[in-house]
Amino acid sequence: MQVKAIMQSNVRSVKKGTTLGQLLVSFKDFHSFPVVPVVDSEQVLVGTVHIRSFFEIFQPHNQDLLMRNPLSMISREPTDIFNLDIEAEMGFLIIMADIMDTKVVKIEQSADLRKAYDLMQLHGKTAIPVVDDNKRLVGIVSIFDIVMKIFHEKGLI
Amino acid sequence: MYVKDIMQTEVISVKRGTTLTQLLNMFKSFHSFPKVPVIDNDGILLGVVHIRSFFEIFQPHNQDLLMRNPLSMISREPADIFNIDIEDGMGFLVIVADIMDTKVVKVNQNADLKKAYDLMQLHNRDSIPVVDDQKKLVGIISVFDIVMKIFKEKGLV
Amino acid sequence: MNIILGMGIILVFGLLSGKLAEKVKTPAITAYLLLGIVFGPFALGIISEHIIAVSGTISHIALSLIAFSIGQNFSGKIFRQVGNQVMWISILEAVGAWLITLVGLLFFKVPLYMALIFGAIAAASAPAAIIMVVREYKARGQFVDILMGVVALDDAWGLIIFSLSLAISKAMYLDLSSSIGNVLMGAIIEISGSFLVGGVLGVILSRIGLFLKNQTDLLIWTIGVIFVATGISLHFHFSVLLTSMFLAAVVVNLNNESFKFFDILNHIDWPIYLIFFVLAGASLEIDLLGKIGVIGIVYMIFRIVGKFAGTYLGAHIAKSDDDVKKYLSLGLLPQAGVALGMALIAKEQFPQAGNIIFTTVAATTVVYEIIGPFFVKLALHKTNQIHN
Repeated sequence: MQVKAIMQSNVRSVKKGTTLGQLLVSFKDFHSFPVVPVVDSEQVLVGTVHIRSFFEIFQPHNQDLLMRNPLSMISREPTDIFNLDIEAEMGFLIIMADIMDTKVVKIEQSADLRKAYDLMQLHGKTAIPVVDDNKRLVGIVSIFDIVMKIFHEKGLI
Repeated sequence: MYVKDIMQTEVISVKRGTTLTQLLNMFKSFHSFPKVPVIDNDGILLGVVHIRSFFEIFQPHNQDLLMRNPLSMISREPADIFNIDIEDGMGFLVIVADIMDTKVVKVNQNADLKKAYDLMQLHNRDSIPVVDDQKKLVGIISVFDIVMKIFKEKGLV
Repeated sequence: MNIILGMGIILVFGLLSGKLAEKVKTPAITAYLLLGIVFGPFALGIISEHIIAVSGTISHIALSLIAFSIGQNFSGKIFRQVGNQVMWISILEAVGAWLITLVGLLFFKVPLYMALIFGAIAAASAPAAIIMVVREYKARGQFVDILMGVVALDDAWGLIIFSLSLAISKAMYLDLSSSIGNVLMGAIIEISGSFLVGGVLGVILSRIGLFLKNQTDLLIWTIGVIFVATGISLHFHFSVLLTSMFLAAVVVNLNNESFKFFDILNHIDWPIYLIFFVLAGASLEIDLLGKIGVIGIVYMIFRIVGKFAGTYLGAHIAKSDDDVKKYLSLGLLPQAGVALGMALIAKEQFPQAGNIIFTTVAATTVVYEIIGPFFVKLALHKTNQIHN
């Protein structure tokens, strides 16, 4: 079975230029922040925003490069989010391109479900974006979608 | 600021005796499976069911005990969910108590927000159940709840 | 004391000293180094001979992991991301520090093979100390962005310069009468051998990695290939650093999801680095400190001059602002982990000169770690990156 048969095609995605404020407003009533795909003006998947992305806001630019040098780590303490100095205007100034994770694990819509499942297990993800042949975002598929599908087939539900 | 000030109090929880089919039906329309607290008749938190719990169904009973001995591990391959035999009636025979994760990280509702945040970072969780002094489930709190709270205070949203 | 108890004590107290260092706003690496000195034969003597005896193995493992991580910067994507200014400045400030320190030391009658090594070590900087200052003052702006990019890349250039210099030095040192041709030949064999091993294993790591389905296997496979690469390099006397770096560079450019090989190491690498730096501190020969006076001062001063000149030239070519030209080098002065790693390799390769190099670098590291942050702060101040 192919990924496109069970993926959710109605995905909430954002643009590279979406501001932090806009993002927050659209997830205001959520209690958990999902994996949100980031696309460019041609719908091509360029990254994802997830809960950890919010911590990027408090890091200097280019710090992600430094993290590739293990010795640049002062310590692996989590960000001290209770002592931040951020101002309201950052809601307009920060855009998705600044905070998104470009290390994206994605899957082609024509790929086998098993491949999607294996990829999620390997990378420790519970959902990954689905793209077409032109790398455009077409959906998202989750482990739960796959589990549900199998349970459905076996008549458990 | 305390956990109880921002936690979600409307939590979907299940009982130990809830059957697999009942559980699946509750989340039929979901695309991601949330963390579901398991409680006893007095409302005391016993465990949680999460997406990985479904893989427990395909493991022999008491395998979690064996997992404590690293050498008992034949391999850490993820369950091969595409080749499972599910017997008739399994949806009614398997109950939440069989698959729930009893290694629960929880936080008291009167704890400081910072404590909840640190616990989630240490255990690498996005959300944890909240209990009162009698260990009764009273809510759930997520990293996103805390991030949102801070952004709201700072006027970003 | 047996080795396992020794390692246990190092880890437990290392964690403690790292936390203490954080309280006084010092990078953990400095704390590990000082802890090593305290535990070492010149003070408490807790770290016994046979623990120091295994430190060679630990440092090869640590260095190959460090070089592997730094090597992931060598991708076209990253080079495009950081842009022209960062590329020019990072290359030229690394080369500048190398060349000017090298010439400066020659002027003070330091033998060429030693001056080459010192010069190469001068190229390295210490990201942790720099980030710490940037964070503490919540500095922001274009200058900070460029500084971060340069700091990220200059250790990568530094490792290459060091590997090349070491290859030449070794060839010179082994046979002082040998001709330039022989020296170059020895160096070329060492370097191309590293590229060959790193390249072939990089393809294997990446291709077979496609078949892995869980994180445990991924971790085992990645460490396994890094060890094989490091082991082969050691056996044939190739450069461990270049091999690991090239291994990473090949993987990064072959595989879209190559980050999995690097991220998986985050679970296990820190305890190894901790032990590595504590042992480095313990192997410091305190009694040599008195003898390094002049070399140490010359090394420190010429390194600063070299960083400044290289940055200035790079910024000039890339048409950067005057602020970047004048002040960026001030932000590059702290030096710690990578420099010490290089010095440890030198120590192992050259029995006598190596000790002097290592002790000098360790001592200047402490000085740089104390005065460096002050200069970083000055640079941020001068360029108005600190907002309040």
